[in-house]
Amino acid sequence: MMRTDWRDHDWQLIHTAPQSPTLHMALDDVLTHEVGAGRRAPTLRIWEWAAPAVVIGRFQSLRNEVDGEAARRHGIEVVRRVSGGGAMFIEPGNTITYSIYAPQSLVKGLSFQEAYAFFDAWVLEALGELGIKAWYQPLNDITSEGGKIAGAAQVHRGGAVLHHVTMAYDIDAAKMLDVLRIGREKLSDKGTVSAAKRVDPLRSQTGLPREAVIERMVATFRRLHGLSDDGLRADELGQAEALAQTKFGSPAWLGDVA
Amino acid sequence: MHGEYKMPGGKLVVIDLELRDGDLAAVQLSGDFFLEPDSALHAINRALEGRSEHADEAALAAAVRDVLGADVMMYGISPEAIAVAVRRALHKEPAA
Repeated sequence: MMRTDWRDHDWQLIHTAPQSPTLHMALDDVLTHEVGAGRRAPTLRIWEWAAPAVVIGRFQSLRNEVDGEAARRHGIEVVRRVSGGGAMFIEPGNTITYSIYAPQSLVKGLSFQEAYAFFDAWVLEALGELGIKAWYQPLNDITSEGGKIAGAAQVHRGGAVLHHVTMAYDIDAAKMLDVLRIGREKLSDKGTVSAAKRVDPLRSQTGLPREAVIERMVATFRRLHGLSDDGLRADELGQAEALAQTKFGSPAWLGDVA
Repeated sequence: MHGEYKMPGGKLVVIDLELRDGDLAAVQLSGDFFLEPDSALHAINRALEGRSEHADEAALAAAVRDVLGADVMMYGISPEAIAVAVRRALHKEPAA
């Protein structure tokens, strides 16, 4: 397998109407598989959330990470994703989440640390254009002078790698701390949570609406790597809907690490 | 019993376990690390099950390493870090 470059691939964009948390989990699984099997060209997917959610990492303990009672009280669904990494607190409009489904050839020969930074170099450039001085902080974070902006996670499946990232746009810190059991050590990781009511590195440092930040990011990706507008195929959506029901919405998957 | 260890340059490694007649039981590894394939998690738990509460870090790390196939990828976690988290759980040290 030869190492490939971004421009060796015909990148596709998927940015659809808001979808449920479990469907997002399933779409990551299905689209990674489709790219690995060569049935789909490498793809950038921007997520829109239909409902609030806590998304825990593949190996996080449900009871250690989430206050289930608080989540129910706030009407927040708890889901487990396919990748490792830490918990994300999502409300529609409070974060920017994207997935990159790429052939493994794109990061062939790179260390994990290099591969994480490689997949988000375009984002650092987009943030720079928006006036934010941001940089990669190993292992898997994007940070800035205004605090941590994003966390990334990768999964390798067949011939494909999934790289997905959640960026904090404007998060209600009090609600997040109510639902997530974040230790004091982790607090310093999540920006200036203890001092601020909101974790809003993207909103406060750009002064732009979330949609405008996304628009700029997509434009930067398109300019650097090429990008065609695409949508989900009916069979992809069908597979994802089935998986959302049988796997990602099941108590067995959510409680796999109790 | 619960132990946590933030691996230097890595991620948080957490162990929950019980003791049955001086042996480790109901061992659960968790954390925000990266591990592939994900089935390796349960293999690691099984490898620690039944080990003596007196097993030292080197023995615990070796037990973990022994069950990891050549295809297993770890990022932000290591057999040694898992062993430290187990010892912390057994010593009832405060969370890291």
